[in-house]
Amino acid sequence: MSSLIANGLEHHVQELGEGGVPVVMLHGLVIGSLASWYFSAGPALAKTRLVRMYDLRGHGRSQRAPAGYDTATLASDLLELTTDLPPFDLVGHSWGALVAIRFAIEHPDCVRKLVVVEAPLPPASAIEIGAFLTANPEDVAASLPESLRASVATGGRQAKRLVENVVHLVRDTTLLADLRAEPEPPLKDLYTPTLALYGDRSSCLPAGEHLRTSAPHVELKVLHGGHYLHLNARAELTTAIIEFLDG
Amino acid sequence: MTNAEILPIVQAALVDIAGDEILISGPLTLETSFNGDLELESIEFVALAEKLQERFGNKVDFVGWISGKELDQIIGLTVGELVEFISQCLA
Repeated sequence: MSSLIANGLEHHVQELGEGGVPVVMLHGLVIGSLASWYFSAGPALAKTRLVRMYDLRGHGRSQRAPAGYDTATLASDLLELTTDLPPFDLVGHSWGALVAIRFAIEHPDCVRKLVVVEAPLPPASAIEIGAFLTANPEDVAASLPESLRASVATGGRQAKRLVENVVHLVRDTTLLADLRAEPEPPLKDLYTPTLALYGDRSSCLPAGEHLRTSAPHVELKVLHGGHYLHLNARAELTTAIIEFLDG
Repeated sequence: MTNAEILPIVQAALVDIAGDEILISGPLTLETSFNGDLELESIEFVALAEKLQERFGNKVDFVGWISGKELDQIIGLTVGELVEFISQCLA
């Protein structure tokens, strides 16, 4: 499988493994893609179950989209991309984690367990994490997270493509407006058993405590790393997810 | 299959994923690195793995191979390492 349609848009989908309780994994916006999971926790989870990962609209190898980066629309994409699955576990990073929270609240029967990695709360704080979102096009490279700056410093192909994509999403789509307008999710209605994973060096960390005290069944675990835990705490992140989903 | 037979298959799959311009510095060699030389994006590497999986079938477990590596090893992968891996799986 490599392509599925949701809300009229072609989505790039990758599946690993088979059997068990399926896991669906959502990446973060702008510099994320399904590769965030494919090169971190995805393969380890796939040893015992089906893992479905996809590129969000406008990201990775999915179709570009001028609008619809709010969690309501992205959760409706998720619904269309999982209609064939029995109840599944849902894992999301950053904005993908907010989509996962919304989906679990709206479709509690579809989700068995939820893993929220570095969800920004309030949602609009995502813009501060992604300083590159509000940078001038020529300054985008300098404002990228540390983990990407090395590859961008060369000024080569990866840098050009990355910056071109950031500029496209910021200038040609409603992404930034969608982020600003996103309401706080009704966390008291989140009944799905949830593991919240945050990095001790991440500016998102206070959101973890907020999540734990606002939703009924949230376990909070703080790992050593920043916002991009799949890069700077890859092994610990993978272990924490597997222990929670298998427990 | 020999390394010399596998290399053009990898090159064709790569061009399919990333376009002709990926070979702007010349044809692939076993020393070419995916990140440093080709500057392939991680999502393109995923697509390349899928394409090669389709081509070579279940004998070649790309995902298992990658998941056993540290992130900096994946980033530093050369075409030669990939070709050698495929060749061993098919042997």
